[in-house]
Amino acid sequence: MMWMKLAFGGFGRRFVEAIAAAIVLAVTSATVASSLMVVEGARRALNQAVRQDRPDIVQVKSRFNRALFETPRSGNLPPLTIPVYEPLIDRAELQAAVGSNQVVKRQSLFRNVVSGDSFLNIYVFGIDPDLEHEVSSFSIARGRFLSRDDHAAAVLDQASARALGLDIGGAFPIRKADGEDMQLTIVGILDKLELRAAPPRSAEAPSLNPESTFVSSGAFVNIRTSEQVFGRPTLTDALVVAGSGSNVPDLVTQLQEAFRLEPGIFVAERYSQYQRKVRDFVLTLTLFSAVSVVTVLLAGSFASNLLHDIYVDRRRQYATLMALGFSPAKAIAPAVAFGLVLGIAAAVIGGLVAGLLMPRSFAMPSLMADLGPTEPTIDWLVAASIMVISIAAAAVGLASTAVRLVGQPLATTLSEENS
Amino acid sequence: MSGEPLVCVRSVSKTYRRERATIGALRDVSLEVGKREFMRLSGPSGSGKTTLLNLIAGLDRPDEGEVVVAGTDVARLPINRASRYRAEQVGIIFQAYNLIPQLTALENVLLPMVALGRANHSRARELLDLVGLADRSGHIPSQLSGGEQQRVTIARALANDPALVLADEPTGNLDDQNAQSVMGLLTRAVRERGRTLLLVTHERNMPQTADRSFELRGGVLRTVSA
Repeated sequence: MMWMKLAFGGFGRRFVEAIAAAIVLAVTSATVASSLMVVEGARRALNQAVRQDRPDIVQVKSRFNRALFETPRSGNLPPLTIPVYEPLIDRAELQAAVGSNQVVKRQSLFRNVVSGDSFLNIYVFGIDPDLEHEVSSFSIARGRFLSRDDHAAAVLDQASARALGLDIGGAFPIRKADGEDMQLTIVGILDKLELRAAPPRSAEAPSLNPESTFVSSGAFVNIRTSEQVFGRPTLTDALVVAGSGSNVPDLVTQLQEAFRLEPGIFVAERYSQYQRKVRDFVLTLTLFSAVSVVTVLLAGSFASNLLHDIYVDRRRQYATLMALGFSPAKAIAPAVAFGLVLGIAAAVIGGLVAGLLMPRSFAMPSLMADLGPTEPTIDWLVAASIMVISIAAAAVGLASTAVRLVGQPLATTLSEENS
Repeated sequence: MSGEPLVCVRSVSKTYRRERATIGALRDVSLEVGKREFMRLSGPSGSGKTTLLNLIAGLDRPDEGEVVVAGTDVARLPINRASRYRAEQVGIIFQAYNLIPQLTALENVLLPMVALGRANHSRARELLDLVGLADRSGHIPSQLSGGEQQRVTIARALANDPALVLADEPTGNLDDQNAQSVMGLLTRAVRERGRTLLLVTHERNMPQTADRSFELRGGVLRTVSA
C-alpha cells in the first residue's frame, strides 16, 4: 500500500497534467498504431503476393489454337473453336536458355472422353509430379498422387471423377495422337487444386471452382504418359523457377532471346508487377512511418515534457527516500512504476482505439494503386512498438530527474525549493 | 570527549560554485564527536553548519579531507553504500521536515525500516507514542501542525535505532513553545537510547544541555566555552 501511495499518491494539481500526458500518449499510440497497422497490412499484402504470385517464376507458354481439339466420336456436336495449348516448346532449347534454373515442364491438352453413352470435356495435364508440387498445390482426398514411374495412371479431381462416374481403380479411355485409345487408371482423387499459371477455362468441363475463369480441374498424368498421348515430347508450357526475384529480368531476356524466332511462344512474368507492389509498399512504409515519426516527435515530446514537470515536482521526494536510506533504484522505483503504468495504459488504450476504429480494409492512396487495398493488421510488432514509444516517452520525462538524483549531491536536490 | 570517537572529521574543506563565484563553505574543519555525546553546532546562516552535517550524513562530498563515521570513510562511499550507511547508522532530522506528503505519519516513520527491508509497525507505533503522536498515526503531514510534523521526523530518525542522529535546525520553523517541546523531546529520546546527537542551530540562546558546543563562522570551526 505504501509503495502504491509513493508511486501514485499525492499528485495534487499535477494529477491533471498526468491525465493530460496519458491522453496525449494514448492519442500518439493510436496514431502510431494506425499507421503501423497499415504498414503491417501492406507488408502482409506484399508477402501474400510473394506466396501467391511467385514473382520468381517465369512462364513460357505456347499460344492458343485448336490443333489438339478432338471432335467427339459420338453425338452431334458442331465444330467448336476451343483454345488449347499447342506443344511448341522444345525441351532442349528451353533448358539451354534457362541454364541452372529449375524447369517445371507441362503438357496441357483438352480431350473428349467417352464415358458410357456420353462424352465429357476433360483438361488433361502432363506434369512432373515432384517438381509440380513445389509450384502448385494438390490435396489428395483418396488414393495417392502421381509418381514419375507411373504408366497410364491418372489423378482426377472430385468433380471430374463424379462426372465420369469413376473412382480409384477405375479407368477411362483417352484418344492418343496416333488415333488409338489409352486406358488411364485412376490412382488418386483430388479435393483441392491450385494449379499455378493454369490455362484459361475455355470450354465447359467439370470444375472444382465454377466461378474461376481458369481451369480448376482435370486429369493429371505424369509427363511420360502425356507424351504418349501427344505423340511428341515438346511442351505446351513450362514454369522456370529463378534462383531469386532479381534474376528474373535476365532470365526473361534469355528466354525471349532463345525463342525470338518462335512467334507462338510467349514469356510471361509477374516480377515487374511485383516490383511495382514493392515500390508501393516502400511508399506506404515511408508515408506512414513519416506520420508516426512526426506524431511521436511532436506529441511524444509534449507528453514527455508534462511528465518531466511531474517528476521534477517529486524530485525532492525521491531524494528524501535516498536520504532515509533507500538505494537509488528503490528510491526511483515509484517514479518508474508511475511512468510504466501511465505508458502501458496509454499504449493499451491507444492500441484498442486504433484497433476498433480502423477500417477492415484500408484503401491505399491512388499513388499506391498496384498494392491495392490493404487489411490493417495489429500484431505483436505493432503492439510492441506503441508500448516502447509510450514507455520511452515516460523514460525521457524521468531521465533528467534520475540523472540528477544519481549525479548530483543529494544535499543539493534536498535544498531545491520544489516539492 | 572520552573513548573512541564515533564521528571523525579531518581537515575538511568544501566550496560551492554559485554562477561565477566560488563560496568557501568549510575551511579545514576538524572535529571529533564521541559515542553517546550530544554536540551542539551553532553559527549564523550561511556559516557552513548544514554543509558539515550533510558531509557527515553522506549527502555531499568534501573537496578535501575525510569524514569517518563508525570506522567508515563516508566521503568515499559509492552511492548505494552511502544509502545503506544512512539507513543503518544515521537518523536525519531536517529543518523542512521532508515528510512524504501522501504517506501517513505511521508510514513516514516506517520508511527507514522499509529501506532496510524490515518494516516493523509496532515499533513505528511505539516511536509515535514516544513523541506523543500515537493518536495521529493515520494523519498525513498536511493534517499535522509544524511541531507535530517535526515530532514525526524525530520518530522517523529513530526508526532504525541509529548510532548517530543529525538534527539540522529542527526548531527553525517552530514557535518558541513548540521549539522547546521538540528540543526537550529530541534530547530526551536520544539520551535515553544512548545515541550520539549532533544538533545544528543558528540560535545561540538554545538551552545549554549539550555536552559540547562549537560555532562555525565563515566556514571556520571554533569551540564555544560552556
